Amino acid sequence: MKTLDTVLARHRVMICAGSGGVGKTSTAAALALYGARQGLRTIVLTIDPARRLADALGLHAVGNEMRGVPRQLPIEGDGTLTAMMLDQKGAWDALVERHAPSPEARDRILTNRFYQHLSQTFAGSQEYMAVEQLCEIHDSGQYDLIVVDTPPTQHALDFLEAPQRIADFLDKSVVKWFVKPYFSAGWATLRFMNRTVGVLFRKIEEATGVAALAEVSDFFTSMGGLFENFEARVRRVYELLRARTTAFVLVVSPEEQVLREAEYFCRAVGELRMPLRAVVFNRVHHEFSGRGRMLDRDRLVALLARAGAQTSGEALADNFLRFEAVARGDMVRMEVFRAQLSKHVAIAEVPNFDADLHDMAGLARMHPYLFESAASRSRTSERAGPTFGA
Amino acid sequence: MVVGKGGVGKTTVACALGLEAARMGKRTVLAEVDGSGRAAGLFGAEPASVGEAVQVRPNLHILNADGKASLEEYLALIIPIRRLLDAVFASRIYNYFVAAAPGLKELMTIGKIWWEAERLDEATGRRRWDLVILDAPATGHSVQYLRMPQATRDAFSAGWVARESQRVVDLLTDPHRTAVNFVTTAEEMPVNETIEMYRELCGELHMPPGMLFVNRVHRVNFHREDLARVTTAAATLKSRDERALLQEVVRRGHEELGWAEINTEYLKRLSREVDLPRVELPYVFAEEFGLEQVRELSRHIETVGGAVASKRAGA
Repeated sequence: MKTLDTVLARHRVMICAGSGGVGKTSTAAALALYGARQGLRTIVLTIDPARRLADALGLHAVGNEMRGVPRQLPIEGDGTLTAMMLDQKGAWDALVERHAPSPEARDRILTNRFYQHLSQTFAGSQEYMAVEQLCEIHDSGQYDLIVVDTPPTQHALDFLEAPQRIADFLDKSVVKWFVKPYFSAGWATLRFMNRTVGVLFRKIEEATGVAALAEVSDFFTSMGGLFENFEARVRRVYELLRARTTAFVLVVSPEEQVLREAEYFCRAVGELRMPLRAVVFNRVHHEFSGRGRMLDRDRLVALLARAGAQTSGEALADNFLRFEAVARGDMVRMEVFRAQLSKHVAIAEVPNFDADLHDMAGLARMHPYLFESAASRSRTSERAGPTFGA
Repeated sequence: MVVGKGGVGKTTVACALGLEAARMGKRTVLAEVDGSGRAAGLFGAEPASVGEAVQVRPNLHILNADGKASLEEYLALIIPIRRLLDAVFASRIYNYFVAAAPGLKELMTIGKIWWEAERLDEATGRRRWDLVILDAPATGHSVQYLRMPQATRDAFSAGWVARESQRVVDLLTDPHRTAVNFVTTAEEMPVNETIEMYRELCGELHMPPGMLFVNRVHRVNFHREDLARVTTAAATLKSRDERALLQEVVRRGHEELGWAEINTEYLKRLSREVDLPRVELPYVFAEEFGLEQVRELSRHIETVGGAVASKRAGA
């Protein structure tokens, strides 16, 4: 089995993707911590870390103002570790601020009612801003390694398709239909020229009320020029996502539904020509003995009784046997999933720990499972092999 | 409505509710909105084609709801000129706009749910469904979905888009017809999101609250001292295999205790911050999670949920 050592050595950007609830944020943080301990100037971009993990990353103390502000964390060694929470809330505002041709144009857009609804409801705008900020940080050249935790979307693909979706929405050939001429002769002329279009516009007017259409039209007029360079920007974003130095790390747990979504994700990143380089199986239950030895319940209860657990023996035995059943399922599901992966994809298996991992020491518990180099180091230190908690 | 963070078992709970409702004789349709076909898959059925429903059990249908298909179904109702519609649906501008227009997909999906809830059966003239269950998409997205009708009504203050949106809002906020049910696990992130979503949906959007389902609750019937005792005793055993086995038994004990402690902590937090009748569903240890496990949860909901609901009604 190939762990993530080579992936870390060969890539500058690692994007952690996967469905919600599989431990993606912790995995991203653990990867970044290891990179930093290897001497790399590292930054981890996270979306919405759990409170205690955020505390550990130095991201919680100041609350929401922390968004978009990089925080450097104390670590041992030559590397540096910075954490930053991506700013999603003001995503569109930031985009407008950045691209508006003048302060007047900016204010007109920001106060437009249609814009306000759009910026709150446009699916994918947050995902887009995440990629946009990734691009900016990458191009600054300040970091050797950038680890990205993608937004918790049900379909991780939203993240990858958002830039294109926004580009499509702002496509000139569509936008021009909504721009000012509606108030001059434009649409009216069209109406007489073409009966079909006429019927359609009358329907749209009836449907929405003319005042609303005016807002829409005004919005697109104000936006004119704002997104002149948007297509180039989107191209740049995709260039980075497809770069040789960018690796996608798929984080999964060995559950049926999660893996089914993951299969879909693997196919889709392939079609989008984005490089899947590693799969991390998280929260894995390893089977203790697949060979049926000593797993008879009665014998186990008897053994536990000899070991001083007279009253709790049955409970402990049942607990263990239940985990074994889950573990058998995990093993089968992972094997089936692995069989579909290219042999170039690195694979790591991280066990189900007995607690949430929410501090540096906790994150470091993942390292021996993610990186062979960490595993061999911990083998040569006083204890044999990675240890489990408690 | 069944809402919750991704990965907490929303679909499982929605299916368990669907099974229970169907068993009670309610004509039930369960709507999936992301085209994943998860619910259909749990019942061993192929997902229905986009916008269609497939029957999976007596009284239980699964609807593959989809924004674009719903929009087209809706447009066909209001513009009954097939030739014009075909021209529109084929046009590049229409397709671009539908793919990108903010909130349109979400709005039409919720509109479709409204339509199914109100729809009459042509043969009998009665409502087609006694119960519509929406298996909402993961948190952030479900708020986006459920917010759309109100956002649209406010954006278009005149015309029939505003009027139609108002009708959907009326359904969503009517406590006699709608209930929002929350699904979570008793862990930090799902609980945070549940609290936030409870405030947003039942506070800001005035949607009537239903029940809180806490899924995958770990409960132990042994103690840390038991594990300590076994650890000490195991060290004295001669057989290496037996020692290894007992070590593993102890480790699994700690694993389960750890999760049970986390669950207890967050169940307390839920009690403090989400004032809803609560049903705890046990973590199901199974080699493979399938329909049998959903049935088990459904029976659990029947006994525990029934008691919780009637206690609530009595109070």
